Amino acid sequence: MKDYYSLTAAQKMHHNWIQDYKTQQVSGVSVVASLKAALDFGLLKKCIQLEFERYGCMRVRFTKPDEKGQVKQYIAEKETRDIPLKDLSGMSLAEADKLMQQWAYETFEGDDIPLCDVTMVKLPEGFNGFFIHMDHRLIDSCGLVVMINDLMQLYTHYRFGSEFPKDLADFEMVLERDLKKANNEKRLAKDKKFWDDQLDALGEPLYSDIQGPSVLEEARKKHGNKNLRAADIELKDLFVEVKDYYLEPEPTKNLIAFCMNHQLSMTNLLLLGIRTYLSKVNDGQEDITIQNFISRRSTHDEWTSGGSRTIMFPCRTVIPAEMEFIAAAYEIQNVQNRIYMHSNYDPALIMEEMRKRYHTPEHTAYESCYLTYQPLPVKMDNPHLEQIPQHSKWFANGAATKKMYLTVSHTEHGGMNFSYHYQTVHLKEHDMELLYYYMMRILFKGIAEPDMSIGEIMEQV
Amino acid sequence: MTNEMQFKKIVAQYCEVKPEDMKNEMRFREDLGFSSLDFMSFLGELEDTFDVELEEEDVLKVLTIAEALEMMEKLQGEA
Repeated sequence: MKDYYSLTAAQKMHHNWIQDYKTQQVSGVSVVASLKAALDFGLLKKCIQLEFERYGCMRVRFTKPDEKGQVKQYIAEKETRDIPLKDLSGMSLAEADKLMQQWAYETFEGDDIPLCDVTMVKLPEGFNGFFIHMDHRLIDSCGLVVMINDLMQLYTHYRFGSEFPKDLADFEMVLERDLKKANNEKRLAKDKKFWDDQLDALGEPLYSDIQGPSVLEEARKKHGNKNLRAADIELKDLFVEVKDYYLEPEPTKNLIAFCMNHQLSMTNLLLLGIRTYLSKVNDGQEDITIQNFISRRSTHDEWTSGGSRTIMFPCRTVIPAEMEFIAAAYEIQNVQNRIYMHSNYDPALIMEEMRKRYHTPEHTAYESCYLTYQPLPVKMDNPHLEQIPQHSKWFANGAATKKMYLTVSHTEHGGMNFSYHYQTVHLKEHDMELLYYYMMRILFKGIAEPDMSIGEIMEQV
Repeated sequence: MTNEMQFKKIVAQYCEVKPEDMKNEMRFREDLGFSSLDFMSFLGELEDTFDVELEEEDVLKVLTIAEALEMMEKLQGEA
């Protein structure tokens, strides 16, 4: 008999977005991984089928909602979906990318259905590999990178006799452990106290928009409340564009060195860059909140069990203009460290508490910017493939729940990639250009003169 | 009192060093490769396993295994 489980906080976050935005498209995650080499597709298919057996999260399904709208998850014993081979080798790389982008827009419709599709692909310019399209409630990007590596280790084991990959942690066991931890009353009370204390100390947060104070003003007019501190989120037109900017290895090295020399994490430096920009374009507003995603993967089991473990928490800082750049960075680090300690909490409960306290209107938010810092590149880390050129690419699902979502990752040549996903109904590419330009100006001014005040930096950049 | 080996087994879940190879002067971040998130999650695990309540101000000062062990001994002694 199958066991049925509640959803974890991270899964609930995606599930709630599907409910709020009324489309599963907001929960799609897709990636293509390929090698410039001939592949034995028969063997690759067998390895993909074996991966379905090894990596339990690929077999997760959700029940039909009950009368209260609640769903449960279970792990299907076997996945029987076909693993087709599509030949795109006659196209240009751009055409193939465009087609795969269309696949990434597809939705999984229904209850009790498989939520993971794998398609083997022959790509232009001699690349061959596979395209994975999944529901984010099953997996996050770190989980996908682990899966791709495991799959290629299986392939090289059977093809070249390399070592069989190490066992992956059992998804179901880790899920049970996570749910038990989430229901630990003592911990729950401690976490709630931490988040409640923050509201007690700072009061209601204040919205800050990439486009300045006019957005909040508009929301105030719409709701007929001149004291409103939250702004409306877009529910209908979710189309998203992606703009990538590449930071060269040399300046990247400077950012990394600054972090190392000052015992700072890159996430906190990036948060400081974004919040200073928001402050600058919002007339020096001191109280700024950014949603920051963290991946709850610390132990070996958490790293190799797959699943959706990425969750966002509001990083709220009140930083006066006279505070020095370095002091502001430590202030953010201090806030973030405390958040990490309480990151088992369900962020939906923080929102619920704010709605209760401040009567925040439905479908409004205090944040316009969301950040993910991803230190892990999508690379097949396999000695048998070291000399073979690789091509991998993430595809946006085309429906953004967030106004602006920035993913920062490291490239294999030592640079950094800043990938801005933005809702086109409200933002233009030019807004992203400004954001990136000023973020870099702020960060490099700050690391060059860490004793300079935030106010001076905002004036000078 | 904190069982040192039990403590090190928990540490080993977060890093590549085996419990028997851990030296008490090892630093969580520099020697064991803990990120800030790893370290904070690890502290939560300690609280649950040893049924102690850590003070946030104190834990942020902990750098090495020896310091963490000392903090745990003190907390359990007070209990």
